[in-house]
Amino acid sequence: MKGKSVKKFLSAVLVGTMTASLLAGCGGSSGSDGGSDDSGSSKSGKEASDSGVDLSGVEGIADIGYEGDPIELSFWYLQTRQEGTDVLTEVFNKANPNINVTVSYYDTDGIKDACKTAAQSGSMPSMWFNWGGALGQYYVDNGVTYDLTAYGEENGWGDLYTSGAMNLVTLGGQVSGIPTSYNVIGVYYRTDLFEQYNLEVPTTIEEFESVCAALKENGITPMDAAGLNGWHVMRWIEQFIEYEAGADTHDQLQSLSTSWDCDAVKKGLERYEKYCEEGYFPDGFITANPDDTYMAFGMGTAAMDIQGQWYDSVLQNNEVTLDNVSWFPFPNETGRMSAFVEMNQFNKDLSDEELEAAIAYTNFLFSNEAAKIYPTYYNLPLPRTDADPVDPAVNPNVQDMLDTSSENGTFTITDQAFPTEVADVLFNNQDAIANGETTPADAAAAIQKAIESYQSK
Amino acid sequence: MKENKTAPYLFMLPALIIYLSVIIFPVFYSLWISFQSGTGIGSMEFVGLKNYAQLIHDEVFWMSFRHTIIWIVLTVLVTTTVSLMLAVLMNQKFRGRTFFRAFFYFPSVISAIAVAIIWRWIYNPQIGFINQFAKMLGLDFTQTWISTPNTALIALFIAALWQAIGQPMILFLAGLGGISPDVLEAASIDGANGVQTFFHITIPLMKDTFIMVISTLLIAAMKVYDIVKGLTDGGPNNATQVLASYMYNQVFQYNNVGYGTAIAIIMVLMMLLVIIPYMSFTAKKE
Repeated sequence: MKGKSVKKFLSAVLVGTMTASLLAGCGGSSGSDGGSDDSGSSKSGKEASDSGVDLSGVEGIADIGYEGDPIELSFWYLQTRQEGTDVLTEVFNKANPNINVTVSYYDTDGIKDACKTAAQSGSMPSMWFNWGGALGQYYVDNGVTYDLTAYGEENGWGDLYTSGAMNLVTLGGQVSGIPTSYNVIGVYYRTDLFEQYNLEVPTTIEEFESVCAALKENGITPMDAAGLNGWHVMRWIEQFIEYEAGADTHDQLQSLSTSWDCDAVKKGLERYEKYCEEGYFPDGFITANPDDTYMAFGMGTAAMDIQGQWYDSVLQNNEVTLDNVSWFPFPNETGRMSAFVEMNQFNKDLSDEELEAAIAYTNFLFSNEAAKIYPTYYNLPLPRTDADPVDPAVNPNVQDMLDTSSENGTFTITDQAFPTEVADVLFNNQDAIANGETTPADAAAAIQKAIESYQSK
Repeated sequence: MKENKTAPYLFMLPALIIYLSVIIFPVFYSLWISFQSGTGIGSMEFVGLKNYAQLIHDEVFWMSFRHTIIWIVLTVLVTTTVSLMLAVLMNQKFRGRTFFRAFFYFPSVISAIAVAIIWRWIYNPQIGFINQFAKMLGLDFTQTWISTPNTALIALFIAALWQAIGQPMILFLAGLGGISPDVLEAASIDGANGVQTFFHITIPLMKDTFIMVISTLLIAAMKVYDIVKGLTDGGPNNATQVLASYMYNQVFQYNNVGYGTAIAIIMVLMMLLVIIPYMSFTAKKE
């Protein structure tokens, strides 16, 4: 009898453990697979709305006065911004009983795959999150997106959104989406570690190398990097290439109008190879998840990370205080920072009423009022001319990064400049250089070969 | 009573329609797409065997092919052996047997992507379990197995093995349970020792179980994808790229729909090489 009880107890424990594990495996929404431009979230919208968030600011602007036939809209968005989006969508739907927006969430790389798959099967949602450059261009080239050029002109978008953002969402001569964020990338660093080892913020590449050497000598990883999806490591490499090529040549490289099999690229990759050999990157970084770099940075085992202005929010969302965090532009001589835009694109098959509703929802979701409620779930400031300035007490580095980028200029981030298959060749060669499987010269030639192969299609 | 010859066909018709529409038609449609070039949206251009000819010169395809073959061999040899050993062990009478059976079966109910996430943390070179454990033992050891080309595929396989042994173990346990104790007792009376009994009595009597286990493992190994996508995304530098992940990249990331589908057709042909002998064997037996 006693044995049977023990068996029953053990069975119950096992079943409980298995169920809990399954739920944990299926239900996680912390964005562990997401990209670095996102902040973690875990609470459902219901919980958030129950937790006493003051929604009065958005409730007043949610009603768009639509009283026509019922409209169903679908929206594909980033999983890591689910918390605020769930609540705001609920507010919008409630204020507009004849419009129902349903949001599906994906991680950073998942949404790229999901949209491509849907485009090929003709099942795109009403609107979807996307990036500019080659990623957004695909949907324009294949006639999947609504051409918003005329709509934008009629509604004065030129005055409503910032010119930098509008330029980056204008693809193939047409306005291909509504810009939802404009991002620039710099080097975040731990001020406490710099102070501890008497290091100054580097203004030349030589000083940067001295800083790296000093940090390495003291057991600190100088440059945080995670290459699982390639793009995080790429952010360092594009700075090395900017340094070697200068602004004009780098712009030509990014627009694929000059050969990548050139000295500037080779030298940039040689610098990357050198830093790999010196151990400036973390052990095993080429398959590390870019979502996790905040850990080493937050714990102070890594001193510098290359991130956009959203990193203020990411760090805070992951309970890393910003007291010991600041930033500087990578010392690439030109001072330029890489930049990219995020946007909402719209299905070309939307009716006029559906398009109006979808645009109204987007403007609501990315309004100053909404961003005020969930400031850490937006890459602030919003790319609108009437955007509220970022509160330096909440996000101390954001405005400075944006001001610096306006002053120094920007270049298009490489994975938005490249078609995906060319970007993957770059990513593979990053791995190969780090593992000593190829040389910078061969890597440069391989990238150029991939570009030519793509262009000849 | 008059036999109604059309009735069986009518009863089979619904299943046949479903089978034709979701299996047969897509297979032949895929074959047709593999002769085309295009992004999958809008018009496609007929290019004949060009995609297949291009595959012959594609280094990454051959790399993926080689990795898939290695994965299949490892699966058949290692997964079968380990799960059989575990089944034999779990077939013994000992205290806590039910617990251990559930313990070893447990990973097989977790999704492959969750397994990938778990093992990503185990393999993490900075704060992963293996390195922390080594540190705890005072060892100056840092593993970077999934980042090193020579070890990445094996490291990936170990993660997959952890999940894959549960299902075959259960099948082997069922097979072992089906062997009459009288036969084993007779072997013992005839002087056969444990090893002799195992290899000359137990294994031959479990032939059907072996066929089922090996064929299902083979098919699963040929289409391995999730764990690769979740743990290394085919990297570093294609060191863990397999046919399924390369096919996916070509179709859904690079928009080379015809080329990617040609890879899918190659995968189907490889699977047929296994499925046809299996089907003919089971049909003969019946």
